[in-house]
Amino acid sequence: MGTAPKHSRDPLEFRPKQPDSGVPEPEAPDREDPEQVYQELRELILAPEQQALKDLHHRVDDPTARTEDVGSVVAEAIQLRRKQGGDEALSAALTPTIEIALRESVRKDPATLADALFPVMGPAIRRSILETLRSFLESFNQVLDQSLSVKGLKWRVEALRTGRSFTEVALLHSLVFRVEQVFLIHKKTGLPLGHAVAPAVAMQDPSLVSGMLSAIQDFVRDSFHTPQGQGINRMNVGDLDVWIEQGPFAILACVIRGIAPRELRDRMAEILENIHREYAAQLDAFDGDTAAFARINSELSCCLEMRYREETQSRGFGFVYATAGILLLLVGGWLAWRSVQYRRWERLVNRFREQPGYVVTSFGRENGRFAVRGLRDPLAADPTGIVQTSDVNPHDGVFHWGGYYALDDGIVQQRATSLLSPPGGAKLVVKDGVLQISGSATAAWVKEVQTKGQLIPGIRAVQFSPELDPARLGINQAKTEIEITVIHFPLGSAALSDAERAKLRKLAESIQALLQEANGLHESASLQVIGHADTMGAEASNLDLSQRRADRVASELVQLGVPEKELHALGVGITQPLRLEDSVANREFNRSANFHVMTATR
Amino acid sequence: MLQKKICMLGSFAVGKTSLVRRFVEGFYSDVYQTTVGVKIDKKNIQVNGGEVSLVLWDIYGEDDYQKMRWSYLRGASGYLLVADGTRRATLEKARQLEERARQEAGAIPFVFVINKCDLRQDWEVDDSFEMQMRAQNWSLLRSSAKTGEGVEEAFSLLAQKMLG
Repeated sequence: MGTAPKHSRDPLEFRPKQPDSGVPEPEAPDREDPEQVYQELRELILAPEQQALKDLHHRVDDPTARTEDVGSVVAEAIQLRRKQGGDEALSAALTPTIEIALRESVRKDPATLADALFPVMGPAIRRSILETLRSFLESFNQVLDQSLSVKGLKWRVEALRTGRSFTEVALLHSLVFRVEQVFLIHKKTGLPLGHAVAPAVAMQDPSLVSGMLSAIQDFVRDSFHTPQGQGINRMNVGDLDVWIEQGPFAILACVIRGIAPRELRDRMAEILENIHREYAAQLDAFDGDTAAFARINSELSCCLEMRYREETQSRGFGFVYATAGILLLLVGGWLAWRSVQYRRWERLVNRFREQPGYVVTSFGRENGRFAVRGLRDPLAADPTGIVQTSDVNPHDGVFHWGGYYALDDGIVQQRATSLLSPPGGAKLVVKDGVLQISGSATAAWVKEVQTKGQLIPGIRAVQFSPELDPARLGINQAKTEIEITVIHFPLGSAALSDAERAKLRKLAESIQALLQEANGLHESASLQVIGHADTMGAEASNLDLSQRRADRVASELVQLGVPEKELHALGVGITQPLRLEDSVANREFNRSANFHVMTATR
Repeated sequence: MLQKKICMLGSFAVGKTSLVRRFVEGFYSDVYQTTVGVKIDKKNIQVNGGEVSLVLWDIYGEDDYQKMRWSYLRGASGYLLVADGTRRATLEKARQLEERARQEAGAIPFVFVINKCDLRQDWEVDDSFEMQMRAQNWSLLRSSAKTGEGVEEAFSLLAQKMLG
């Protein structure tokens, strides 16, 4: 606006010249008046400027004209401002008006705005829901990822120890950082102007915290004489950080868990500047009434951000499953190997059970090794050999064998063979504890078997084949001894020399033995004493002589104790010569008596 | 919600903290007073039909070891000036504190409370003193943190004065 000419008293009082009025101006009677002349002159000279000035005043003062002027350039003005980079200030300036306008529009007729917003509301709501769900799933995934890991177990212990929920502990550890609370504090009074808090964060009364934060600021400022306007910018305890941004009237404090990026500090400064610009008057005149700052919490909420650790995507369940799988394989393999080993050892133990001379009393594991306990007959098969022919590793087990006598026929047979040393023609078989002996053997050995046989463990009876019957063997022996005996006489006599008597004494013993054995076998035995003569002399006398000789021997035997009824004396003369009389010696041999044994079953 | 910052001023051991404790259940421990020099509590009360949130700054009373931090008075809408009736020196001190407070924070409303009225027989102050104070337009109350007498009234009176 230009300045008014100094010489003018009031330009608006000038009357404009009206050349086209059509009425001729009357000649002024006082034309010669200098004042009037001056006035007219002035009017003539300045009329166009005065008219222009008047028009300008009219445009400025008349609201309609002014609105027309501004209206024609307002769009260009806003565009120009945006080009000059004043967006934020422009937005901040326009926001309250637009907000009021919107509120007024809704108050008047909600349908207008609803209709206008209808096309954008659906997508906006959908996007918001998706974003919320995504954020929820992210945090849920983080927790789930960790819930089965070693770290997860540690967190569970921490949750138990601190009394917090596992989800809370897991989220705290999964976060890189999270802005938990934001305070806007009136600098002078220390009263909270606004407060925003993240979900599920434990908080104290904002008034108290704001007051204490201010007190601490004052305390530090007083104690260390810091220049006015400066204060604490940051406080740190463990993984908790408090970032403070100072403004002329208010301070902005963010309570952060974890390590926040520097950009957050810039954003804090930006928000605090906006608040100071928007609420400058209210902040200055603040008297405790926070009604003027009702909308400020939503602005503070912009600072409530969080960021999760970008790890463990590929690990997580895969890692857990792989570990669990390997563990299962190892355990399964180990169990299978143990089972195979056990079955091998079981087979070996069963072999021992079936083996003669072994009794297994127990089988199991002792100190990580297999242990087999039982009894073993000394004559049983060598255990080392049995183990070596099996498929077990001998070092995996240990055997404890006690000694005993087995009653298996096989072992008993071995034992009997070993103890009785049978002669080559004899055959020993044990069946059901009965020692059966057959073949050929001496009477003496048979007798020994008869004595020792039943003393052998496992032998309850001894059975001989008929040819080896001891009684029969005795009879046969006695019979042989008797029947090879020949008693000799002098020529033509039945007298006995001393030598022949001695023979008869020995013969009498054999006869007694024979009778005894025969009696044992329930047989009867008798003895025929046969007298002989040589061919010299007459036949009749020879017969008589032979009879006398038989009688003489029988009589002598009766005297030696042989029952008379078992003796039959018979003279046969020269009819059954013992030898052919082809020599003197053979002839002498026939002057004799010999014996024949007869047995019969009773 | 209307919030007001008020301070507790008074000599050491006149019973400021006991009065606050009687008035409100706090959250910060008393340790803050000896460390930072102040402890903050809060109480919502009804004044003239509206609710006011009183944020109480219980400032550590000056003693031989620690000076009072006057910066804590900044921004207060009022204060409770507390003295111990059984110690005359604390009443004299109260005058000095009031003067100093006026310099620091201007002529903000305050209520003068003579505490320990349960020990009335031991008081070193007579009625003439109280009359003298009242003559200077001081709002004066007797209180006992022990029995609770006058406590609510003191805070309520201060709130009313602050809200005009």
